Amino acid sequence: MRILVIEDEPRVSALVKRGLTAERYAVDICADGIEGLEYFEAFPYDLIILDLMLPRLPGAEVLQRIRRKNDHVPILILTAKDSVDDKVKLFELGADDYLTKPFAFAELLVRVKALLRRGPVNRSSTLRIGDLELDRLTQQVKRGGKRVELTAKEYSLLEYLMQNPDRVLSRNMIIEHVWDQSFDGITNIVDVYVRHLRTKVDEGQPFKMIRTVRGTGYMIRRSMEA
Amino acid sequence: MNLNRNSLRARVTAFYVSMLAVALAVFCFAVYGGVRAYLTNSMQRTLIHTAETIIADYVVPLDTKGQAWFENEMSESYPQGISDPFVRVTQNGKVLYESGDIREPFVPVTGLPVPSNSTELNRFRRVTTGTGQPLMIYAKSYAASRGAPILVEAGADMEPLFHLLHSLVVILLVVMPVILLGAAVGGHLLMAGPLRPVVTLTEQAEHIGRKELGERLSVIRSGDELERLSLALNRMIDRLEEALAHNQRFSADASHELRTPLTIIHGELEALLEIPGLDTQTVEGISSALDESDRMSRIVHNLMTISRLDSGGERIEMRPIELTSVLKTTLDHMSLLAYEKAILVTCDASVPVWVTGDAMRLKQVIVNLVDNAIKYTSEGGRIEVTLQAQEDQAVLSVADTGIGIPIESLPFVFDRFYRADKARSRESGGTGLGLAIVKAICTAHNGVVSVESSENKGSTFKVQLPLLHLSGREAALLESAPTPAADSAAEERIIEVPIKP
Repeated sequence: MRILVIEDEPRVSALVKRGLTAERYAVDICADGIEGLEYFEAFPYDLIILDLMLPRLPGAEVLQRIRRKNDHVPILILTAKDSVDDKVKLFELGADDYLTKPFAFAELLVRVKALLRRGPVNRSSTLRIGDLELDRLTQQVKRGGKRVELTAKEYSLLEYLMQNPDRVLSRNMIIEHVWDQSFDGITNIVDVYVRHLRTKVDEGQPFKMIRTVRGTGYMIRRSMEA
Repeated sequence: MNLNRNSLRARVTAFYVSMLAVALAVFCFAVYGGVRAYLTNSMQRTLIHTAETIIADYVVPLDTKGQAWFENEMSESYPQGISDPFVRVTQNGKVLYESGDIREPFVPVTGLPVPSNSTELNRFRRVTTGTGQPLMIYAKSYAASRGAPILVEAGADMEPLFHLLHSLVVILLVVMPVILLGAAVGGHLLMAGPLRPVVTLTEQAEHIGRKELGERLSVIRSGDELERLSLALNRMIDRLEEALAHNQRFSADASHELRTPLTIIHGELEALLEIPGLDTQTVEGISSALDESDRMSRIVHNLMTISRLDSGGERIEMRPIELTSVLKTTLDHMSLLAYEKAILVTCDASVPVWVTGDAMRLKQVIVNLVDNAIKYTSEGGRIEVTLQAQEDQAVLSVADTGIGIPIESLPFVFDRFYRADKARSRESGGTGLGLAIVKAICTAHNGVVSVESSENKGSTFKVQLPLLHLSGREAALLESAPTPAADSAAEERIIEVPIKP
């Protein structure tokens, strides 16, 4: 998988490259819009990460030119703006997803993976990790075959964690997925719900699946080693 | 144009009609007074003239020519019964001649009292006859060479004069309102012309204020005050637009300048945490730095939100929202936060309350207020949330039994970064912007937020938003096309189960 990062801030692109390379992706970096377009035409990319504020050619323009030539390649926008208007405009221009700075790398990684596996997305009716089972049809959760009673929010939270096993999910990501933007800044709500979820899912079990990653967020583990 | 009583047009018309009414009233009084004085004077002159003529022509030669001649001459000049004015000549109470009654109306001269003393001489006196007719009589005496002075009286019936004056009053009373009404209608119509540009200007300005600052008023090329007004307004919009653009540019720049380093800090710290074999102290340090960088990101994000809301840069999506269901869903989503602190949250909102606004933003108001209430209420406390429609306001109130706010801090709680209780709020990890966001959102929705508090007893935050009046059919129609908030509420009700402690 080859990813093109068009970002003029060298330290941001370095971070992204380092992280993505560690996840075994091939990463090219361009520092301005014109150069980015040249790279895009020269190599077949599986994904493009595009900053909006670029020298020489603005990101929105780059986005439009890429879309004129190629409909398929997923494009993830990095932006420092976060008004609703801007977001709507981006989707109209052909962006597939956006990420507002500042972002946690974990968040970028989740989105990159989601975009790359688009198509055969995991929408199977049952999510299964170890002995934890979540049935999307009946909305029932079982651990080791035993029924676990969850509230609506706990269920949504568990579903989101199980969709991204072994991946750190930041509080912001969880808020955006499970609650919505109006809960911005009430990040302790995530901690409270995870604590309750943990009581119901992990208590009395030898293997604790829900893990806190300090300073970042939470993840659900398949096995001890992860 | 409707007849708005406060409109400039109505006021100018009213002013000018009342000025006209005053002028007309003065005019009427002057006319009445003038006519009355003129008629009275001319009657008096006639009476004086008649009396003097009789004395000079008939009374003076009476001595020499005799009584018979006198009566003959008098009856020729002042025939019995038809003389106007009527006359009477008496000497010592004895009638020498009287012209008698006038034909129409009948005036019974005979029997009119004779002036008894000298004060009634050479003067006009008013007498009312037995039949109620008002008379004016002038008496003049002539000192005869023999015998007592001869008294000559000339009189006239005043009724025709009063009749004339009465007719004049009637005419004036009828004509004046007609003139005034005509003036009011005409004035109101006339005002439409000069005021039309003002109306157009107002409509355009309202449109620009509501929608796009990019547009301009069409300048009225009349060379008068209105042209200056439209030019001045346009200059003002220029300045506004410039200031707004500047603010937005600054927000975008500041936002970019702050967010990029924050991204780097966050990324580098995350990468550091990935290094295997770190000791606990290092992990703790890095984690705490990550927490702070998160908080700073939130502050930047919130600041930008407030700045955009304040400047009108963020366009709020205005659609009909059923606030009761939004409130219930939101409280439901936050129930665990209260449960954690054993706080009882009650919600009194039974009827649907419709407002116009952005569901996400209004939800944020609820979230921030309730989160605040939970934060500042100690374990086992109570929070009462009510939502009611009062007249044309939707009133949401969040009352807690928390620590309250010192009275000297109350005016500032909605200010950015203001903390009433510095130590406590820092440990709770807030950004110091929650209430400022609430205020910015309320203002953007043409609403207000207020607070009442007494220390150690609790605080009550109250949000008032303009109520949207919907007919039952409209509400049903909107409910069948669910809003995002109502939708998610319905979806979540499916598997909601009570939480067991």
